[in-house]
Amino acid sequence: MSGITLEGVSKRYDGGVLAVDDIDLEIGSGEFVTLVGPSGCGKTTTLRTIAGFEKPTAGTVRIADDDVTDAPPYERNTGMVFQDFALFPHMTVRENIAYGMEADGGYTTEEIDARVAEMLELVELPDTADRYPDQLSGGQQQRIALARALAPQPDALLLDEPLASLDKKLREQMQVELRRIQQEIGITTVFVTHNQEEALTMSDRLAVMNEGRFEQVGPPEDVYGEPDSRFVADFLGTANIFDGSVTALGDGLATVDSDGAAISSRSGAETAVGDEVAVVIRPERFRFVSGTPDGGRTEVTENVFEGEITFTRHLGSSVEFRLETAAGRELVVVHRSGLEGYEPGDEVTVSVDADDCRLVSQ
Amino acid sequence: MATETSAAETADETADESGRAGLRANAKWYVLSYPLVWLVAVFLVPLGMLVVFSFWVNIPGGQYQAGFTLDNYVRFLTTSLYLNQLWLTIELALVTSVLTLVLGYPLAYYLARLNRPWLRSTLLITIISSLWVTYVIRAYAWQVILASNGIVSSVGVAIGLLESPTSFYPGYWGLIVGMVYVFLPFMILTLYSSLRNLDGELLEASKNLGAGPLRTFRRVTLPLTRNGIASGTALVFILALGAYVLPRLLGSGSERTLPVLIEQQIMSESNYPFGAAMSIGLIVVVLAFLWVLLRVTDVTTGDLGGVDAADDDGTDAPRNAAGVFGRLWGAVGGVSSAVGLTSAVGRVGAGVEDAIETVDSNTREAVIGASLKAYVAAVMLYIAGPLAIIVAVSVTPSEFLTFPPGGFSLRWYVTFFTDPEWVGALFNSLGIAVAAALLATSIGGILAFALDRFDYRFGSVLGTFGVLPILVPPVIIGVAFLVFFLRIGFAGNRLSIIVAHGIFYAPFPFILVMQGLGELDRTYEEAAMNLGASPIRTIRTITYPLLRANVVSGALFAFILSLNEYIIAWLLSLFLVDTIPIHIFNQLRYSYPPTIAAASTVFIGLTVVAMTSIDRLSGGIWE
Repeated sequence: MSGITLEGVSKRYDGGVLAVDDIDLEIGSGEFVTLVGPSGCGKTTTLRTIAGFEKPTAGTVRIADDDVTDAPPYERNTGMVFQDFALFPHMTVRENIAYGMEADGGYTTEEIDARVAEMLELVELPDTADRYPDQLSGGQQQRIALARALAPQPDALLLDEPLASLDKKLREQMQVELRRIQQEIGITTVFVTHNQEEALTMSDRLAVMNEGRFEQVGPPEDVYGEPDSRFVADFLGTANIFDGSVTALGDGLATVDSDGAAISSRSGAETAVGDEVAVVIRPERFRFVSGTPDGGRTEVTENVFEGEITFTRHLGSSVEFRLETAAGRELVVVHRSGLEGYEPGDEVTVSVDADDCRLVSQ
Repeated sequence: MATETSAAETADETADESGRAGLRANAKWYVLSYPLVWLVAVFLVPLGMLVVFSFWVNIPGGQYQAGFTLDNYVRFLTTSLYLNQLWLTIELALVTSVLTLVLGYPLAYYLARLNRPWLRSTLLITIISSLWVTYVIRAYAWQVILASNGIVSSVGVAIGLLESPTSFYPGYWGLIVGMVYVFLPFMILTLYSSLRNLDGELLEASKNLGAGPLRTFRRVTLPLTRNGIASGTALVFILALGAYVLPRLLGSGSERTLPVLIEQQIMSESNYPFGAAMSIGLIVVVLAFLWVLLRVTDVTTGDLGGVDAADDDGTDAPRNAAGVFGRLWGAVGGVSSAVGLTSAVGRVGAGVEDAIETVDSNTREAVIGASLKAYVAAVMLYIAGPLAIIVAVSVTPSEFLTFPPGGFSLRWYVTFFTDPEWVGALFNSLGIAVAAALLATSIGGILAFALDRFDYRFGSVLGTFGVLPILVPPVIIGVAFLVFFLRIGFAGNRLSIIVAHGIFYAPFPFILVMQGLGELDRTYEEAAMNLGASPIRTIRTITYPLLRANVVSGALFAFILSLNEYIIAWLLSLFLVDTIPIHIFNQLRYSYPPTIAAASTVFIGLTVVAMTSIDRLSGGIWE
């Protein structure tokens, strides 16, 4: 099996900065795990520790069940794609891809040629072998960097924000492509990004990092839908967050008082009355309460907010509204497209089910 | 040395443990020891000996004995001859630096804003090539121009300004013209790199906000290039202080500057202790000047602002993106001695601006543009003309040096290449330059590599070592090495010149390799290691190929500088080694055979080829 295991890994830099703080992570063979977090959260340091560019101050790193904690980078079998690709500018595409196999020494010339051709086929750039990196577009360079990393058949693929330098459209294309290739060869992959959308769309599991620690690790839909902390809720996607304290409990529901507004939410197992908590509501969980001026509205009693639309924004498949309630609170509400007719200045009413609210600690 | 090393080693070992993977902690001391041995044992020791010598007792007749006396200094500081000449040396340096600034700024400005790359690189190559041609040849060019049968005199007679042919050298103003000519390229290149760094959008922003060209210049360009102005002025001042060849060849008996007097004491009087004392005196003047500059900087740090203040840091200077000279003289301290000058220029600018405020803006811009172009053409003629005249003289058919030549002939080239003395000198020059370039590159390159790759406790001090040699006036380097080599019985041969040149010019490869390493993206090396390449393989297949242009450029610099160097080679030759600059210089004392012009032309050609290849190699290093 060629998984990756981190046990109690910490990294303290010479200046005393604790970049990674005692993390544990087990990555299964063939799994695609994304480390996501704001800049400075330690995700890149974690990746570089796996690659061997940083030596952990404490803990153990295992790749394919071998303890590689003290091994230099060139004695670990990982393939890395760097943020700016780091294609050797003085070598052709062929020489770049062959580099790792030549350094390995265990390949014949014929094997290297065959493997280079195979890799170029895999990334769908068969005719670029004799070009130099500066003759390739950004997207092509990205694919060649991937081919180079995969050519020496590494145990793990490490991706350090490889899509960050591409424009939006190309980035989305490469997200799909990267995932296709990864699944095709079934390689264990660690992907580092600060882009939460990439993290949500590409990974089997994602690990949200903050201040050197994992805030939450799990499948994307879980982490997004059931954030464990205010930080995760805030970092992944957009969230309406209401800070307040629990005033009543019952029936699996908690009532939270937030600046005078009573919000009903699913409660956690250990929630107690008086806890300082935050209620997280995803924007797409809100419903517009369809109503007519004569008062014929649907029966909604809980979690109703009235406010004025201050701003609308079309996101393509959906529309985002910003609402300001009478209490001065701003709400973000997302609705699928097709709900025309609401404009800034309109007074509207929205509501959310208690089941769609999540309690996290403040 | 050894104790310091091991102490620092144990202290650093733990810190380095977590450092860059793949490089061993111990390796850093092995790598550093090579350049340090050269720079400490073979460079600082001679300088130290010079200090010691200056307190020794002279015995007339070329002998001296160990002891302690202040007589040498007393003689230096109480003899009005020496004091006058000391002041003259400083005055000449000041006049030269101010004149080069005034002449150079508009040209540098024009070059920096020029939008035609071919024209810019042609002009730059011309300026740069003339920069590296030996002072001996360039002084000789002005002798040709200023002589009584030279151009100035004959034109003057022809248009009736002069009654009879007159020689304009030797003398004060002839010397000034030559000094300004020789040091102008240094000023232009320093200012150029500073002006190039200036963001063009700032100028557009200023114009967008309604400021005319003069106001933009006064309020934006000038303040932001203040450091370039200061560095350029400091550079020219220090170089001019140490000038030996020009005062000798263009000055009269009353323009004997301190370097000339030092050489005289050593080579003619054999009074080593007194020569040493005067050398220390010259170093003190240089240091005092630097100290004053740095003081002024402290006072006006606020004025400097953040824009090019990064140049101020001596040790970080080599890493900055400015041109080679910007970096080199950033090491001198990005100094604002020019602040006073700047504001004076600014006031003049404001006055001019008021005066022409009434003219409509298109006319104004056209007039400014046209006069700038005319000015640039005139200054370029001043820079390129003298060397063109040498080339013209070299193909003159007549026995005597004439201008313009009365026909075309290659006979002086034939003489040059068939005269065993000239050919011998040429081979000496080339051999010494090649060896010195290799030595300089190994010292400077390895020091730069070590400083970039490892953390040393005194890293910034070590970095200063890398540029230190070039700050010492060459005449003093020559005297120091002479004293040292005489002590160990090793003077008067080619090897001694090679060693001196190798150390003196190590700063050029050092700065270039430092720059290359600074710009080198470390992820290339990480990528190689990630692909399984060992550290050695990584250096061989990735690091060196990516740095090759810088290494080769550094070597070429050292080569061309050594090739053209006169005073150090002359002092160390003890009349036994002949190089082309030495041979030309000696010939100039007695006669002016056009063979000199042919030899000079060959040298100018070599220099242009070397400089063009450096430019090609590095993809426009002067940018």
